[in-house]
This record gives sequence, C-alpha cells and structure tokens, in this order.
Amino acid sequence: MMAFLLRRALWLVLTLWIVFTISFFLMRAVPGGPLDAERQLEPEIRANIEARYHLDEPLARQYLRELANVVRGDLGYSYKMADFSVNEIIGQGFPISASLGIVALSFALVLGLSVGIISAVRRQGWIDVSLRTLATIGIAVPDFVLASVAIILLVFVWPLFPAAGWGEFRHLILPGCCLGAPYAAYIARLTRTGMLDVLNQDYIRTAYAKGLLPRTVIFRHALKGALLPVVSFLGPAIAGILTGSLVVEQIFAIPGLGIHFVQSATQRDYTLAMGLVLLYTALLCLMNLLVDVAYTLLDPRVKLE
Amino acid sequence: MGRALVPTAAAAMLAGAMLWAVSFATLPQADFTFCNETEIKTVDPAIVTGQPEGRIVSSLYEGLTRWDPKDLHPIPGVAERWEISPDQLTYRFYLRNDALWSDGTPVTADDFVWSFRRFLHPGTGAEYAYQLWYVKRGRDFSTSQLAPGDPVEIELLEQPAGALPHAAGRLLHGKLLSIESPAPPAGDDAASAPATYRVEIEGAERRFRKGGGAGTEDCRWVLLDFDAVGIHAEGPRVVRIELEHPTPYFLSLMGFYPLSPLNRRCIETHGYPAWTKPGNLVNNGPYLLEFRRIRDRIRLVKNPHYWNRDEVHFRTVDALAVTSAATAVNLYLTGEADWVPQVPTTIVPELLRQKRPDFNPQPYLGIYYYRVNTTRAPLNDVRVRRALALAINRRAVVDTVTRAGQIPAYSFVPPGIAGYTQAECPHENLDESRRLLAEAGFPDGRGFPPTFEILFNDLESHKAIAELIQDQWKRELGIGVRAQKLEWAAYLARTRQLDYWVSRAAWIGDYPDPNTFLDMFVTDGPNNQTGWSNAEYDRLLALAATQADPAERMATLHAAERILMDELPVLPVYYYVTIHIVRPYLRGFFENVQDVHPLVGMWIDPEARAKYWQEHSIR
Repeated sequence: MMAFLLRRALWLVLTLWIVFTISFFLMRAVPGGPLDAERQLEPEIRANIEARYHLDEPLARQYLRELANVVRGDLGYSYKMADFSVNEIIGQGFPISASLGIVALSFALVLGLSVGIISAVRRQGWIDVSLRTLATIGIAVPDFVLASVAIILLVFVWPLFPAAGWGEFRHLILPGCCLGAPYAAYIARLTRTGMLDVLNQDYIRTAYAKGLLPRTVIFRHALKGALLPVVSFLGPAIAGILTGSLVVEQIFAIPGLGIHFVQSATQRDYTLAMGLVLLYTALLCLMNLLVDVAYTLLDPRVKLE
Repeated sequence: MGRALVPTAAAAMLAGAMLWAVSFATLPQADFTFCNETEIKTVDPAIVTGQPEGRIVSSLYEGLTRWDPKDLHPIPGVAERWEISPDQLTYRFYLRNDALWSDGTPVTADDFVWSFRRFLHPGTGAEYAYQLWYVKRGRDFSTSQLAPGDPVEIELLEQPAGALPHAAGRLLHGKLLSIESPAPPAGDDAASAPATYRVEIEGAERRFRKGGGAGTEDCRWVLLDFDAVGIHAEGPRVVRIELEHPTPYFLSLMGFYPLSPLNRRCIETHGYPAWTKPGNLVNNGPYLLEFRRIRDRIRLVKNPHYWNRDEVHFRTVDALAVTSAATAVNLYLTGEADWVPQVPTTIVPELLRQKRPDFNPQPYLGIYYYRVNTTRAPLNDVRVRRALALAINRRAVVDTVTRAGQIPAYSFVPPGIAGYTQAECPHENLDESRRLLAEAGFPDGRGFPPTFEILFNDLESHKAIAELIQDQWKRELGIGVRAQKLEWAAYLARTRQLDYWVSRAAWIGDYPDPNTFLDMFVTDGPNNQTGWSNAEYDRLLALAATQADPAERMATLHAAERILMDELPVLPVYYYVTIHIVRPYLRGFFENVQDVHPLVGMWIDPEARAKYWQEHSIR
C-alpha cells in the first residue's frame, strides 16, 4: 500500500510538471497577452509595465523563474486582480466552489441513487420509463436553461429563493440543485445499469433463495456491486464540481473558482490560469487515487499493486 | 480496516462536509448596494483604467478637484481654491485645512508631489501616465528621455538611513554628461543591455548602469531630476503645477481618479500589494475599505475623517462584482441592488416599453465605430472608404439591434461637449456610394478582394451589427463580405498588428473635450490602429494643444475632425446612450454625458422609497 501511494505521488509531481510546461508555452503561444485591452498603451508605458512583470525577458528565463516560484509554492500575483496573490484567490474561491459542490453532490447522490435503485427494481414498469425519461432530459438540458427556468419559477413566479448572491444558506439551494441535476441524472443511469447487471448474478439469486427480505438483498448485497461504476464516475466528477462551474456561478453571482477559469483564460491572466490548471490537475489525480482505493474496499476482488 | 465501516464513514464524511458547506456568518445589508460589473483590478488609483475601478477608487480617494455630480464640471476637492496664470500655464492649488487622511493626519502639498511623482515614475506602470504628460517635462520623466546637460536623479539600491521598509532607494542628484549605449552584442539579449550614464555629481564624474559592472556603479533608475518637472510644493498647503501648453481640461483632469493622492507612509510601510489591504490602506476620500471578497463584493464604510462628511449619507455601501448583466437586473428586480450601470441590451426594448421611471437612456460620451485598415488595398483609396461609409444604414443598426435610443453617428466626436461643433461625414447615399466604388475600379463590386471581412470580438450585439452591415454592403454594393468573430485577446492582437480589413471598435471619452477622441488618430498614435496618417491633421492637433483661446482651439479641432470625416479611416456607426437602471427614490444621482455618479451627495428618500415599494411590492 505504501509503495503504491509513493509511486502515485511521484507520478503526480511528474504530471504537474508536464502540465505546467505545456500550459506555460501554450498560453504564450496564443495571440494576445495580459496587457492587452481595448485602450492601447503608449509604447513607453507598455515597456514600463512589461519590465515590471518581467514580460520583456526571453521566454526561457521567464519559464525558469516561474517554475522556481511554483516549486516554492508561490503562484505569483494575478495580472487582472493585482491586489491578490493567486494563492489568495484560490484560498477564497475554492471553499465557496467546494461548498456549492458538496451541496450539489449530496443532492445528486441522494436523488441519483434513489432513482437508479427504484428504476432497476421496477424495471420496464411505468415508473422506470418515466424516471429514465426524466434522467435523459436532465442530462440533455444545458445548465443555463435549467438555471433560467428555475429562476423564473422559484424567484419571480413563486418567490421562494433569492435571485443570486452568496452569504446565506438560502443562496445555496437553487444553484446547488441546478449544478447537481445533470450529475443526478447521470448517477441514476449508472446505478440502474449497475443494479440490473448485479441483480442477474448468481449470488443475488442465492441471497433470495436463502429467504432474505428483498430490501436486505438490494441494500446489503446488490447495491455494493452496483456502486462500482458510480464510484469511478464520481472521481473526476468531484474534481470538476469542486473547482466550480462557470455557468451556474455566473448566473447566480457566486464568487467561486468557476468564473476565474474562463476569465483568466480569455484575459490572458497567465499566473491565475496557471494556478487553476495546476489545482485542477492535482485534484483530478487525487480523486482518481481515492477511486482506486475505494474500489478495493467495495470489491474484494480488486487489489492495489 | 473493517469494510463494514466504509459506508458509515462515507456517510459521516458527507454529512460533515454538508454541515461545513452550509455554515455561514451573517452579513448585515449595506445602506446602498450597486452592481459594479466585475472584480476590480486594484485599489491603487495610479494603475487602474476601467469604469468599475473608477467607481471604487473615486469613493476611496479625492483629488485636488472633484466633479460636480450634475454636469461634472470641476469643483473644489482637497484644493479649496486655485489660481491660474494669465497664460494658463501655471496653476496654484490651495489645499483646505481640514483635508485629512483616514489616519487623521493632514493631506499636504508634499503628498501630492510624491503621488504625482509616483504616478509618472516608469516603475509604477501607470496606464494613464500620459494624463500628466501635459505637465512641464512630465513626459521626459516618465519615459526616461534624457539629453546631455539635463539634471538627473539616480536611485541607488540602498535605502537612505531611517527609511521605511518599502521606501525607494537613496537619490543622488547631478548633471548628465553623456549616455554610452553598449555595443549591440550578438544574440537575442541585445535589446535588454542597459546603457551607461556619465553623470557629474558635486564636481566629480561618476558612471552608473543598471546592474553595475565594467567600472560603473549599480543603480535602479536614472531619470530626469523630478525637480525639473513642473510639480512643486510651495509650503505645506500650496501645490504649483506648470504645464507645457495651455490645457483647458486640466482642472477636470485633477479630479480624475488616477490623479488621486496616495499616503506615502502607508505605501512605504507595507509595500505593494500589502498596502491595499483593508486595515493597512490609508486614504483620503469619502469612504474606507471595510473588506473585499474576491468576485463577490467590496464593502465600503463612511470615512469619519473626510472633510465633506456631512454630504456622505450612506454609512455602508456594497459594490457587487456581478459579471452577468442579467443577474444584476435580477438582483435589482428582487430589491437586492439599487443601481445597475448596464442592463443587457436584449431587455432594453422591454424596459422601454414598460415606461419605467427607473430606466431612462440618455446621451453618453461614447462612440461605436468601425476601423478601416488604410494600409491595405483597396481600402487605402479614400473613395472606397467613402463608398463603405455611404452604404451603412445606421438607422437600421440602432432600430433593430441596439434599440435603446442610440443616435446614428455621422461624426467621430459625440454630441454634448460645450462649445464644440462636430464635423460630419456624408449621410447614407447609395447612388453616390455605387458611383464612388465604380470610380475606384469596382463597378457593382466586381473585382473587390474576396477575403474582405469585418472583424469583431465575440459578443452577441457586435455579431448582430456586423451581420447587418455585412448584409447592407453585400446587397447594395455587390461586394463579398465575411463577418469574422474572434475571441477577445485574439481580436485585440489582430487589430493592433493591422491584420484586418474592417474592425469593430468603440471609444469612451476620458474627459468632456474633443481632444480625447481626436488625438487617437495622430500618426502612429497607439490607439490609431488604422495605419492612417495625415500631416495636416497632426499639425492641427499639435496647434490645438498650444492654443489658449477656447473658441480658436475648438475651431482648430473642428478643422481636424473635418479632415478625419473626409478621409474616413473610421466609419462612425452610433453614439452611445446610458443604459443604467436606478431606484427612482435615489436622490443626488444625475444623468450626465460621462455616466459618472459620485457617491458623495447621494441619499435615499425614505418616504419615496416606502411609496415605491408599496406600488412595486418586491414579490
């Protein structure tokens, strides 16, 4: 186990370095830079600012300088929010995106698992068909449509929730559900398929033959096996959901990380974009590791090597 | 590890995470809340340029003058009065006695000299630095333009004794003897090799170079001695400023937010960016920074030391960093924001149809136009440019796309500048347009380059306008036109490199004077970006900069615009209107051509508010 973890840690460092290098040169290869704006700068003023940010240095020297900083854990200062370091921006935004993500995930898990199990148990009945239709719609409808409809219905027509903002529990519910809905739909489908696979297996038939209650068979024996595809889906999904969603965060004015992802790319905020890419890479690797560990716990046939 | 524990542990983790996720500290609502469009770049006035930044910075600081909220003419700020010499070259500002910093110490003339020096200093990187290039030798200081014989100041690496931790290095003053440029070495580093300055200091010759070495002394900067720049303190209460040329809008500039004073002790104690943090920041304006939550809000709280505090009616103000205009309007409609500076253009017709008391578009000092790349054939032919201008149906643009009462534009300078008459380009005339195009060698559009295209950045309204004009040119002139959408930074890069045919553009005036629009198009001006150059135009702009008589100056600028509108390197499309929505019971909020609304003097009429909410129940 220790050797396994150590090897994965080494891979993580290597992955981060490769991602850093590719991102660094890719960002500088696309046209435009962090100093571009509608108003053009006087050449002398532009030179002054470039010198301040070391943008006038050869690319190789910039690369080494930034790499050394990142290794020390210093992601530098944002170009477009100059009063804050990238560490501060992530430090403020990540917990917010994570809170929202946790609410969305809980919603998605509770709803998705229940719907999936019910669907599987009542397969081909009218409940199954309508739930599956709903799940398909849930996956197909884009989040901004869902969010807009939710705002019209639950903010303006039937005023239950605030239109947008962050700071109280009531701000969490609408965006949490809108963010979680497609995940719920996906989890429902995965659970249903997994359950159907498992329900046909011999050990389930054995369990029924032993005279166990259907409830016990489903929750104690079948569900564990059916969860495997859900768990492998959850790994990357959690990494994505924790680092924020652009659309939902923008519509509900939530100060998470999602909006930074897009803004830092379009505004060529090199330092912030780099910090976010590295954060996402690290989270993704970590989640995949957790998934692998969870597999061994859920399925005795899987061993870490 | 017991496998049986896994579900329990996972459930417990999820429950714990939920509990953490939904725990919040409550935040009392502010007296006044407005949507500020986006997160601001910084609270350092010297560095910022945008309107969202302007709203915050002008609430935190106050310059020598400030702007009257009604029509934005300069009124006393930190300076209670001023004297202007008859030749309009020397300004003396007399500071009020009760102007204080937020730590209770007085704002002095030295503070302004220090702040303006910092603003002009190349190490600050101020984008607006050219706003002080009107000052005598301000440009030379800012751009390190030195000639032998100039007085210079050398900033050394070491700090003077007893200096604060983040103070600048020790300054040496001397006379420049000569500049030795290094022999250009082979390789890519050629441009970055620093020059060596031979300087006479107290009778002795010394040599300085950034980085030192080769018999030179190391230094940070060699700049024009700031004493030679026309900014001086005459005692603690008088700031004297000498200008290069008469500048009729100079008093307005002194109220422009980048030219706010900064507290030297605060900056030298904490350094950048720590000095911008709430708690560290020392400022002199109507409000203080209580806290900042990135991309959420900036909470401002009334400054008890502000001299004009009786006019500050809100105890707390929230500036929300809401990027989505639709979300901002939702917040307004549900009573959580009182002022939204820009509503989405898509809902403008609906708001106008409702005849709301809170939505009332007014002329605004901005123009939407198309740049033409005059370095590319056949656009280098003025007849072609004129043909394109004559075939744009501007009425269709404002009636079917923008739809907020924007005004079709036939001049580059928008209306609303006192004393100025615009010079117009010809209005739509399709016969004349076709005739000119045929004369230029493209009868019915035959032979026109097939790659001709309109470049615009990715925004719905730009796309709609580009497609409309594309259609007009295609239909009426028979030329093939493509509409090319680009992502923001790529669009900027292509425009800057003159790698386009026609490119969408817009300009908002910095101050109410034609110069802010016309000086863009002098030869090689950084915002020209059309490749257009006209010696007579350059001469007129330079002449206007030296004319003291306002009427003569305006006539000169009019003559310059006449040339611009005859030559048409730019095709005006429409003048902007303001599209803000604001509570009708907010008092002290006035419509003006720059859409600038100082918080000082604003207040909420409680009776009108009660009545309003009775009529428009929130829900």
